[in-house]
Amino acid sequence: MNRVEFMAELERLLADLPEDERQAAVQYYADYFADAGAENEAEVIRELGSPEKTAESIKADYYGRTFDESRFEHKDYMEKYGQQASGQQTSGQQQAGTASASGEEKKPWTSRGLKILLIVLIAIVVWPVSLGLICAVLGILAAVVCLFAGLVIAAVCVMIAGGVTAVTGLLMSVAYPPAALMTTGIGLLLFVLGLIATVGTVKLCMIVYPAMLRGFVELCRRPIHGKAV
Amino acid sequence: MVFNTGAALLDAIVLAVVSGEDEGTYGYRITQDVRRVIDVSESTLYPVLRRLQKDDCLEVYDRQFDGRNRRYYKVTSRGMAQLNLYRSEWKAYTKKINAIFEGGVTA
Repeated sequence: MNRVEFMAELERLLADLPEDERQAAVQYYADYFADAGAENEAEVIRELGSPEKTAESIKADYYGRTFDESRFEHKDYMEKYGQQASGQQTSGQQQAGTASASGEEKKPWTSRGLKILLIVLIAIVVWPVSLGLICAVLGILAAVVCLFAGLVIAAVCVMIAGGVTAVTGLLMSVAYPPAALMTTGIGLLLFVLGLIATVGTVKLCMIVYPAMLRGFVELCRRPIHGKAV
Repeated sequence: MVFNTGAALLDAIVLAVVSGEDEGTYGYRITQDVRRVIDVSESTLYPVLRRLQKDDCLEVYDRQFDGRNRRYYKVTSRGMAQLNLYRSEWKAYTKKINAIFEGGVTA
């Protein structure tokens, strides 16, 4: 298609516009070709795409429609900015055909529900292994919980033993005053040590247990919800 | 350019390009000037010019050139006012965007 054919076709396609609108558009593109020069004629025609596309851009604006360029040429984002230099462009009409086919965006096929379902399925398949693993994790958790509970109990026991020793010492004071004094002293010392240990271990538990709980919850949540929630 | 050029920005660019010429300028040259800064197809600008002309932002006149009439576009006083509005809007807009991009609270 050369310039004369292009202009004739454009004028024909603009026939339904009012006379002055058509004149203005035709004059503009006639000027355009003339100013571009004969040497750029093919380039301008290639850039304009087709008379249909050019006519539609004019009519769309006149009738207040939005001109949908993608109907005439589909430039994918990557195509447009990645391959621009190669200058590979088919004619507007050919692109018009393919535009609608490749125009729909592909949505990511995964979804949260599907992900959870997959995780559950995997869990079932690897059940013999996962059961053992879950038991091991629970066992370790129980051990850690009991360890700290044991420490608290031990500290309380030392405290009680100290108290009992001190009381025993006081009861002995009539018969053997020196031994009673020593026993009472040791008892009181034990009691205080036990008290300090109790307070310390209880504090420790208050730090360790919530942290453990948080860690465990996080561990369970991670595979389902992803890293940060 | 990865950013879209909206209708208002395109209007502003065209007005700025045309206002750069006291004598007015013509379609092909406007297209070349605009295409130096943004990627628009050749058929994009005619509707823009026509609309700006209808909105009295541009006026046209024909002048003899090379044995034919060439249509020239010139910015009207209304177009100049519109361009100044676009300029101040653009300044405010880019200032805010820059502030976010460059991490400052206010530039």
